[in-house]
Amino acid sequence: MTKDLPVRIFIADDNCLLLEGLVTMLGEQDDFLVIGTAPNGNKAIELIRNLKPDIALIDIGMPDKDGIEVTQTLHQELPEVRVIILGLIDLTDEIMACIEAGATGYVLKESSFDCLVETIRSVCRNETFCSPRIAASLFSRIAELTGETRQNLPADSVKLTARELDVINLIAEGLSNKEIAGRLFIETQTVKNHIHNILDKLHLHNRFETVIYARDRKLLKNS
Amino acid sequence: MSKINVMFSSRPKLLSEVIRNLIDHQPDMRVAGEVVDPIELIFALRKMPVDVVIITPLKPDGNPRICSQLLKEHPELLILTLTDDNQAVYIFQSDARRKRVEQPSEQTLIDIIHECLPLRSDRGPGTVFTGPEPDDRKRD
Repeated sequence: MTKDLPVRIFIADDNCLLLEGLVTMLGEQDDFLVIGTAPNGNKAIELIRNLKPDIALIDIGMPDKDGIEVTQTLHQELPEVRVIILGLIDLTDEIMACIEAGATGYVLKESSFDCLVETIRSVCRNETFCSPRIAASLFSRIAELTGETRQNLPADSVKLTARELDVINLIAEGLSNKEIAGRLFIETQTVKNHIHNILDKLHLHNRFETVIYARDRKLLKNS
Repeated sequence: MSKINVMFSSRPKLLSEVIRNLIDHQPDMRVAGEVVDPIELIFALRKMPVDVVIITPLKPDGNPRICSQLLKEHPELLILTLTDDNQAVYIFQSDARRKRVEQPSEQTLIDIIHECLPLRSDRGPGTVFTGPEPDDRKRD
């Protein structure tokens, strides 16, 4: 994909009307050139091997070989071909499966043609263009994954220092920063620094959460 | 020469834009309007009668009551409905003729419109096709 040459696009979709329409409409863009089409997944792979387009627009729901399978094959054999999936619904699992298969873009057929064009141009610039609906799905999934990771994190995988554990125990006794500083013979600011590091390491937000965390994992001396 | 007025209700949006682009590119046709929900066609056509209505998607085994209602109110109307998998188009007119065309292409849609509209004057009181052909049931 050089700057002066048009983007060479291949389209695979079993919906003949949509396929023809996209050929016409994408062909009207000065910077695009549709070099081939296929009505099913197997034919798409066969033609893409020969044509080596810059972008492959692949319908997710083709009868013989679906878009995810096609993407996997292309990603293994021709990683330089960037696959954009044309999807029908914004199911998070489906979008994630496409990304895992190697897709660089996912456009809902419920999106506008302008959105499709913008996605193609973004992918060509090594960027990702995401519709708000898809972005929302992905953020939701990432949040879920992050939550699972946190919950599954074993206590000993977080490296708290002995001093940080002392601080947590004193917080659990209900001491203020100043009182903790007095007990440990350190500056109040140093206590604050320890607490900041603890919250950061444990991905927690306040002292209360720290005590709960420590109690649940039996990190408190009297627990 | 007056143009053929086409109104449509189509989903998904990408297909809707493809149909709009297709009609816009025909020298003898124009897009008279577009509605989101097919049921809105009834009210839209009461305000602005058109020559052709395109509806997509419609389930292959669905009972297109909307077509019956539209043809009852607008006997001159030609209705094309694409199945939800877009593998076939049904042609509805208020005469007995009805047809299922497989794998419709852009040219197919345009040809159907051109073929069907001149015959409107020959139309007699007829029946409305409200379900799939017997052969279609076997297919589906």
